[in-house]
Amino acid sequence: MKLNSARLLIATAMLLAGGSAAEAHIVAARLGDFYMGVVHPLTDLQDVVLWTATGVLAGTLGAAKGRWLIAVFPLGLLFGLLLGQVFGAASTQLADAAMMLAIGLLLAAAAQVPTVLLCAMAFAVAVIRGAANGADLAPETDRLLFAAGLTCVGYAAITLTMALTAVFKRTSSDSATSWRAIAVRALGGWIAAIGLMMASLALAT
Amino acid sequence: MSLRLPLPLMTAIVSSALMQPVFAHEQAGVAGGLASGLLHPVTGIDHLIAMVAVGIWGAQLGAPAIWILPITFPLVMAIGGVLGVLHVPLPMPEVMIAVSAVILGIAVAARLRLPFAAAAIVVAMFAIFHGHAHGAELPRAANALAYGVGFVTATGLLHLCGIAIGTLTRWPAGERLIQGLGAGIAAIGCYFLAQGVGAFA
Repeated sequence: MKLNSARLLIATAMLLAGGSAAEAHIVAARLGDFYMGVVHPLTDLQDVVLWTATGVLAGTLGAAKGRWLIAVFPLGLLFGLLLGQVFGAASTQLADAAMMLAIGLLLAAAAQVPTVLLCAMAFAVAVIRGAANGADLAPETDRLLFAAGLTCVGYAAITLTMALTAVFKRTSSDSATSWRAIAVRALGGWIAAIGLMMASLALAT
Repeated sequence: MSLRLPLPLMTAIVSSALMQPVFAHEQAGVAGGLASGLLHPVTGIDHLIAMVAVGIWGAQLGAPAIWILPITFPLVMAIGGVLGVLHVPLPMPEVMIAVSAVILGIAVAARLRLPFAAAAIVVAMFAIFHGHAHGAELPRAANALAYGVGFVTATGLLHLCGIAIGTLTRWPAGERLIQGLGAGIAAIGCYFLAQGVGAFA
């Protein structure tokens, strides 16, 4: 009995000595940079407002036009990330504000934007934000994993926002003065107002 | 039995009742900017009543004012905000803000039915003055985008609140209530107008 207790004690001591810290989250592990790419834009208000505005605009125009963004937006993010690496950090505040103003006005006016223009605007937003996200990366960050994370979250966010807007607005059946259409247009007016204020603050400082 | 409190205790109670929190740090960053933008339109009574009055009047006027105002009003106000941020001077901004409360209050109380274009011009002119005041008082430490998001959201929600109150016009009793509310708004506006022209100095 005594021998068993001693063995048990030794085994416990060995297990404790060989134990390492348990990590409930794998952010600190090798794939952490992937998750950093996923989370980074979601914690930046500029990304949240601009991505949402782009997704809502595409959603209001219907699936036929909006579906192009599923490919264009993540590609734009990748391209922007590359540009950010090459040209370094630069303030995108004025460009962000201009895009918010433009997209907000188009939403408020319920404009029927051609597919080419929609794709061009979404690509521009993605490039600007991709560059902004890539500009402040630490040297030890794995660029490939970060890019993969950013692209995945860009794809998911734009697809989800477009789908939710299309479902909310019911593009094909609603008139221009239904409360759903007005709610979307009012949101556009708010986004444009935010862009305008942000532009003035950027210019003032 | 008379309740007589000692002077030190009385002083302590009065001091406690009047005390205000001390902020060691100026509101800064995203959270500070958002909080400052959200609170700014609701902490000035003259701004608040005018915003609500615009919503109520829009609801009284019916379509298309009821749906065009929420779309365009924050945008026009932001134009005023830009002028304020860039320190472009406007004539007598405080007086004009008080006048806006008086006129909008009277419009609601009297159920004034102007043509839509005339109503839009009146509201747009006042919106520019309100936006100018908010822009000029903007905290420099605040995050620009967060402040804009908070400011526009609070303004839009105040406006929607006015529209929601304005829907009471469907019922006769609600109509009376709204007209009384309009008279109250005009009276508060008169107080701020008197203050603005220095009547209380």
